[in-house]
Amino acid sequence: MDFLGEGFRRALSLLLSGDREVYGIALLTFKVAVVATGVACAAGIPTGFLLATRPFWGRRAALTVVNTALAFPTVVVGLLLYGLLSRRGPLGGLGWLYTWQAIVIGDVLLAFPIAAALSAAAVQGVDPRIRRTAETLGAGPWRAAWTVAREARFALAAVITAAFGQTVAEVGAAMIVGGNIRGATRTLTTAVALSTAQGDFGLALALGVVLLLLALLVNVALQVLQGRGGSRG
Amino acid sequence: MVELRAVRHRYEGRVVLDLERFTVTPGAAVAIVGPNGSGKSTLLRLLALLERPSEGDVLLDGRAAWSGRHRGRPALGLRRRVTLVEQRPILLRGTVRENLEYGLRLRGMRRPELDRTVEAVAERLGITPLVRRRRHELSDGEVQRVAVARALGLEPDLLLLDEPASSADRAAAQTLYRALEEERRRRPLAICLASHQLEDAYRWSDDVRALAEGRLSPVTPENLFRVELPLEGANGLKHVRVGTVLIATVTDRTGPAILAVPPTDIFVSREPLPSSARNVFTGRVTRLARPRPGAVHVTADVGVELVAAVTEEAARDLALAPGNPVAFAFKASAVRVF
Repeated sequence: MDFLGEGFRRALSLLLSGDREVYGIALLTFKVAVVATGVACAAGIPTGFLLATRPFWGRRAALTVVNTALAFPTVVVGLLLYGLLSRRGPLGGLGWLYTWQAIVIGDVLLAFPIAAALSAAAVQGVDPRIRRTAETLGAGPWRAAWTVAREARFALAAVITAAFGQTVAEVGAAMIVGGNIRGATRTLTTAVALSTAQGDFGLALALGVVLLLLALLVNVALQVLQGRGGSRG
Repeated sequence: MVELRAVRHRYEGRVVLDLERFTVTPGAAVAIVGPNGSGKSTLLRLLALLERPSEGDVLLDGRAAWSGRHRGRPALGLRRRVTLVEQRPILLRGTVRENLEYGLRLRGMRRPELDRTVEAVAERLGITPLVRRRRHELSDGEVQRVAVARALGLEPDLLLLDEPASSADRAAAQTLYRALEEERRRRPLAICLASHQLEDAYRWSDDVRALAEGRLSPVTPENLFRVELPLEGANGLKHVRVGTVLIATVTDRTGPAILAVPPTDIFVSREPLPSSARNVFTGRVTRLARPRPGAVHVTADVGVELVAAVTEEAARDLALAPGNPVAFAFKASAVRVF
């Protein structure tokens, strides 16, 4: 058990001393997670709205696909993306393999179904009278959707939190398409995996603590934003 | 102004509305009556251009606003001329004031005109003390009044109200109807109101239309019964069970149908008199109502509840009063089947 205590002590000293490597990795992780969450939600939330509100042919099938994609193994996504981005792959010309952009793409692919499926559920949970009321008071389709979104704001904030949680904690795809290159594509999760394998338990633990703090930070920020919007009905 | 033409509307394959023609002219006061599930709310949603009919057209000023044949929604400008207040209205997130402002803002209104309009409409509906409250701080009746105010503030050409007094107490309902009448005096406004209470409908409008099983009654909003017409009948005369009585009717139809007995075709007496009428029932008066000056609607329980129309004079002569005995008679040929 002693090595656990030793690990915590080392973690604390790394964090307090402002270790450049630790903070560099944390910054990259944050950047990747924010960009990926932004893209995934920007595409996923409107998709969820469409799935929940517009009757179109194949809607049920689309919902099933999105729900199935929730359980997509991250390493498989990494593998497919590797095939696409590798030099011989169709997107090889981009030269994005082993860059942070590649990790972002992997994260977007994994977080998009979360954003779409959860926001569809969130919108379906809103009383249908809300949309009808907005429409009969003269709202166009966009304004009516916005009014529905305001009613589902808590559930939609949870969608963003879940998407961020997925992107910040993702390790399989980041390892395969990012390559875990020091100073370039090393994220908190891949660094934790590496440090543990190398026996540097203190570093792994320190990185783990930073990961938790990051998640906490984003959750608190979202809650503050919600509070400003008014929590009452 | 608004017209439904050859409209058939289905939910999950079942026809819930089947109307050859339904029109609301500018400035009209129309009441739609019918039991729950008769298609009133669906009809209002179609008139409000919120749903596309499965078949047929919805016309606004003679132009097709929504057609069963074409995709694409009606233009916003058309939709904004009609506003619906649902049976159980819901307030949007925010205060009552924000709800009253919602539609006005969409139409580009800004302060100070916005404040003036909101305050005026709140005053008319007696909801001024509520404007700072949120939806969970209001009773059902208050929500209903706010919803009517929210719709009236937009000055639509046609206001559709689904059971507007269902959650309101008597006084609140009167405030509501008074406000609607004042509004109609102030400016041209057509109102189409759905209610399951006939007396409510008559108090409010002369144009009462009855809906049963998604179809309009061709004769009368009273005495409508859902029946199963038997196969057998001598010379076209059939006896149909309604409540605990058998009503004789002349029809060659069979199967499910709606049976209507026009109140003006019911002959009212103290006791049964010999006549050619095939339908003679006795019972007691349960209610008297006066839909118009000089006219009395006598409701009696004769094994089934029936309404007969008589003059004020006849009601007096027969000493019609709740609890008194009465006999209702009508010819088999007076019974309409549709």
